[in-house]
Amino acid sequence: MNQPFANKTHVFSEHINAAYIIELYSGDYSMIEETFADVVSEYTSLLANVDAAYLAGDVPALKRAVHKIKPLFGFVGLTSIQSQCLDFENSCEAHPSLPLLTNEFMLLKNNLLQMKAVIEEEKEKLVLFNSR
Amino acid sequence: MSLSCIIVEDLQVAANYLIKCCEKSKLVEVKGHFINVPDALSFVNENTVDLIFLDVEMPGPNGFELLDQIAFLPKIILTTSKKEYAYDAFEYKVTDFLKKPFSYERFLEALQKVQSSPATQAAPGNETEGSDHIYIKSEGKLIRLANDAILFMESMGDYVKFVTADKKYITHNTIKNLEDKVNKQYFLKVHRSYIVNLRKIDDMRENCLFINGLEIPVSKAFKSVVISRLNIL
Repeated sequence: MNQPFANKTHVFSEHINAAYIIELYSGDYSMIEETFADVVSEYTSLLANVDAAYLAGDVPALKRAVHKIKPLFGFVGLTSIQSQCLDFENSCEAHPSLPLLTNEFMLLKNNLLQMKAVIEEEKEKLVLFNSR
Repeated sequence: MSLSCIIVEDLQVAANYLIKCCEKSKLVEVKGHFINVPDALSFVNENTVDLIFLDVEMPGPNGFELLDQIAFLPKIILTTSKKEYAYDAFEYKVTDFLKKPFSYERFLEALQKVQSSPATQAAPGNETEGSDHIYIKSEGKLIRLANDAILFMESMGDYVKFVTADKKYITHNTIKNLEDKVNKQYFLKVHRSYIVNLRKIDDMRENCLFINGLEIPVSKAFKSVVISRLNIL
């Protein structure tokens, strides 16, 4: 009996909330792959906006840029960094002065870069998985 | 496909996800995707859709400002990442509120709500055919105008002036859009910039007609239609 997809499961990166992803997309791996690809293609420009706002020392713009990139993580199951973005937005609100935000920003920026690599790698894994 | 929709969303990933959900459901046809409110408004004032998936926070005017300005009311599903907008969503009587990212199952639930709510809402401005009144959005509120009270409608670019015997109302709309929506037993387009209430015409001369002492041009292209609709003995 040929049942090619019957036991087909994908092992997500440990950073990704797999149960959340499966529920979000009802286990539709094509949709998951397409959305990961969309996130990869939009990530760079949104991250650049975060950098530009920080370099300009513009805290309201930095808050907006982080707010803008935040929903991407929901689509790829990176729920913890989504929370980190929200915390940073709240910090921008509480401390509208860049020096007070620098340490927290550096931590966030580091994670944003790390997650970029995670998402790109996962996308490639999903392409491979769906092509089997 | 039983429903037509547009997506107003500035985040491409979210818009693409919605498009995929719509395609997968085979219940909704996406007529357009807009990344800001002014572009979406231009579209819906020229085209009718059953449903709008509407983000709230976008560059420029926000989603609620679209609801303040839209000339008719299709069903609205608000899509936002902030649950804080739930109260406003309730106030604006949107059909459903999807917190991004939402699951495909939740998307289907929202569509079911749209399909089960009263017939793609007898929306102000959209229910007018066969009706004895219309609703227009003007001065920040919905105003009911009886067809009998309206003398004519005049184009003012992206706006239309509704003229009654004692007042004028300006609303964001176009004559082209209204032409298909008004009750044709009452109203007729006589010029690219005018729709008149046939029951209010006092007299007609050459290429103009008069209503309440006001002169309204009649295009050559519409003149024969106008004459055919007058009860000439």
